[in-house]
Amino acid sequence: MKSKITLLIIAFLSINTVFSQISFTTENIDVTGQYKICAVDMNGDYLDDIVSVSGTNINIHFQNENGTFTPQDFNTTPADNLPSWSLSAGDYTGNGYNDLIYGSSSGVTFMRANNNGTAYTEVSFPEFVFVQRTNFVDINNDGNLDAFACHDIAPNVYFINDGNGNLEFNQGGLGDVPVGGHYGSLWVDYNNDGNLDLFIAKCSGGGQGATAKFNELHRNNGDGTFTDVSVESGLRDAVQTWSSAWGDFDNDGFMDVLVGASSFSDGGHKLMRNNGDGTFTDITAGSGFDTFGGTSIEHATYDFNNDGYLDIFGNSNTLFINNGDFTFTTTTIPFSGAAIADLNNDGFLDAFQGNEIHYNSGNNNNWIVINTQGVESNRNGIGARIEIVSALGTQIRDVRSGEGFRFMSTLNTHFGIGQDTEIEQLIVRWPSGTIDVIENPEINTTHLIVEGQTLSVEENRLFDLTLSPNPVKDILALSTRENLIGAQAQIYDMSGRLVFSETLNSSTIDVSKVSSGVYVLNLDVNDQKAAIRFVKY
Amino acid sequence: MIKLKFPTILLMAVLLFSCSSDSEEYDPIIEEPLPESPVNFDPESIPYPTLSEYNFFEGDMANLNPVYGVLPYELITPLFTDYAHKKRFVWMPSEQKASFIGDDKLFNFPEGTIIIKNFYYDNVLPENVTKILETRLLIKKDNQWVFAEYIWNEDQTEAILDMNGRNVPIEWLHNGQAKSVNYRIPSESECLMCHKTFGDAVPIGPKPQNINSIFNYSDGSENQMVKWEEMGYLDSNYPASISTTVDWEDSSESLDLRMRSYFDSNCAHCHSEGGHCDYRPIRLSFSETIAEENLGICVEPDEDISFWITDADPTHIVYPGDADKSVLFHRMNTTEDAIKMPLVGRKLIHDEAVLLVEEWINSLDTNCN
Repeated sequence: MKSKITLLIIAFLSINTVFSQISFTTENIDVTGQYKICAVDMNGDYLDDIVSVSGTNINIHFQNENGTFTPQDFNTTPADNLPSWSLSAGDYTGNGYNDLIYGSSSGVTFMRANNNGTAYTEVSFPEFVFVQRTNFVDINNDGNLDAFACHDIAPNVYFINDGNGNLEFNQGGLGDVPVGGHYGSLWVDYNNDGNLDLFIAKCSGGGQGATAKFNELHRNNGDGTFTDVSVESGLRDAVQTWSSAWGDFDNDGFMDVLVGASSFSDGGHKLMRNNGDGTFTDITAGSGFDTFGGTSIEHATYDFNNDGYLDIFGNSNTLFINNGDFTFTTTTIPFSGAAIADLNNDGFLDAFQGNEIHYNSGNNNNWIVINTQGVESNRNGIGARIEIVSALGTQIRDVRSGEGFRFMSTLNTHFGIGQDTEIEQLIVRWPSGTIDVIENPEINTTHLIVEGQTLSVEENRLFDLTLSPNPVKDILALSTRENLIGAQAQIYDMSGRLVFSETLNSSTIDVSKVSSGVYVLNLDVNDQKAAIRFVKY
Repeated sequence: MIKLKFPTILLMAVLLFSCSSDSEEYDPIIEEPLPESPVNFDPESIPYPTLSEYNFFEGDMANLNPVYGVLPYELITPLFTDYAHKKRFVWMPSEQKASFIGDDKLFNFPEGTIIIKNFYYDNVLPENVTKILETRLLIKKDNQWVFAEYIWNEDQTEAILDMNGRNVPIEWLHNGQAKSVNYRIPSESECLMCHKTFGDAVPIGPKPQNINSIFNYSDGSENQMVKWEEMGYLDSNYPASISTTVDWEDSSESLDLRMRSYFDSNCAHCHSEGGHCDYRPIRLSFSETIAEENLGICVEPDEDISFWITDADPTHIVYPGDADKSVLFHRMNTTEDAIKMPLVGRKLIHDEAVLLVEEWINSLDTNCN
């Protein structure tokens, strides 16, 4: 009897250890750019790459399937503006290669990737902007990715995409305080109406009577207009903040927020629970943020220990591990602000900053990663609401570009699911209104969801198809549990033109004669269908 | 430092006035009317589209020869603006004068005051000539300060009102060495960033502490406040002794006073209550830096900047005895926008000031524990 109890205790302790376990090992990486603040896929293979930027160069370490990196330099014209305040990535031309925004204290420069990812063209705007946080986001929800830039000392600016890759400068309507104070913009659907709303973490001097420091929430009405709901939501707060971490910390289906203090001169960190009715309640007391003495300009949220609850980081080398009940337990980690991405494709999120990668050592928790490819919606699927349902509950994420204050992190959507061994349902609600539902998706793997892929085929989805290598030069190998002999394979280029069609007699496709570029392979195996994007070089 | 002025003319005037009021037998003193200033001032139509319309200068405008009433002045320690030289003037409407509020407080300027600041470089390459880039005006109109920014043309014959800001690449000889910068002419929002207190636009420089000094006028040297008073620009209500800044380059002054004077003109507009960065703990005006904590001595910073610095790990805003461990030193000794201070107004490092701040920090011996 005694030994049994002991065993139980040991078992209990070990599970406990598993849940809280989080550690990182640091490795140096020889990145050459001046601004080492970005980790995001750049070549369309959905493996997160490491991007560092200088005035005339973009240095990309492309992640390989085996977790190694292949560095490559892309020379650019001397950029009018450098990302001294923030950097964001998104594919505003929709060609499968992410473009970049550099936000400086004098203005905005875009670096636009060409159609085969071999070069970047500078697009600089002459307007003076003291840029803070930048984001790629489809502001008017027309399917074309726009861009937003916080202005420190004037009304915010944004760039509307005409669908032909041209951006038009706009100022006014999205945070108009004349003296600014706009620091950390974050586009999130706080009221679950399918439209991305705008929260602005604000900071401003000017004494106790100054108004520019009050945080703002702008509700997207879905018709191209926005309403300032700062007061009615309860988020109009004077705390001096440069960034906020938005996530559903208690998995109740609504996005909560940690507004992180950069200074305690006008109040401390604020943990705000989304009540689900458009209002928020201050639940900082007892959360751990009320007693934490560190300040930071960087706050963001990811599930680092894959336990199914979003953690918060960015402040004073501290990770706030979410206990699931709006309390957080702190642990020391080797980074504060950082770009977060999966840099060895193991399902555990790593961090990049400076010349260091901090690899997450992982644990035995399960996970799933969703890569989104918009068709009617913007190419990245930025603004998509992704929901997974498993035994521990329902988790939600919004695909967002521009987390925290300065850094650019992965655009892949990562969930931990703790010890759950299956996910009942994966739902992707696209900005276009399209909804893709996948029952029982495989766990501990990555899924590419192409917008609308589940609509026409319903249950007849071929979920486990993978392609390798990707990018490919000659022979594309297909892997699935299904027998591929006799399957119909069609390859379309990005303009929708059929460039290849064949009935398969093996599990490989010879694409050596296909010219370089990005393609979608449509496969039909006994009426089970799949569409997967690949890169030919 | 406390500096006594000797406003002899003022004293005589007071004595004469005392006599006259004592006895009504004396003839009242007939003041000689001051000449009229030819400055063209029409409150309804300012700011004018061009600088010449004000008629501040006579002859070739590029010589910046002031007409009567446009009074040159200088600050004891000026703001660093990428090594640009500055010529400052002040003008007030007739019968109007400023009054003293406090040593460290802006004068209470009358309606219609115009503060004129010209930015220029000498030895501009390739012709090795003087080139004026911009003239900034602060005009007190309807009891508010209004910015008017004039950008000079290539011919140096006119300057045009332009509130949108501009970058002007310039190369010049600085102490015989070629230097270059993409000089920034500020937009209106950039002006306000520094020139605001509690949300209102204000001048920064013209405070008693900054101009209580001798200026070499065309008709001889004189204390600037005395001269202002003589011109009818300053009420005589100011005290005889004023806590005054020192020339930051004057090595005969103490390191402490030089550094605090430099901080006042280069940092205090933001790092003061009501300023752009008042949510950070330091307070850098001359009158407040008497307290060590206001200088950031032994104060831990809100923001960790170690990410940007590869060869040092600053722990305090000012770590006595070790510039390398001081955030303030690193923020001055960089052109990286993400951490540089001041935030705007410079693209180059002020090398001479960095030497001073290093010397100053290394001379401190406060124990932080």
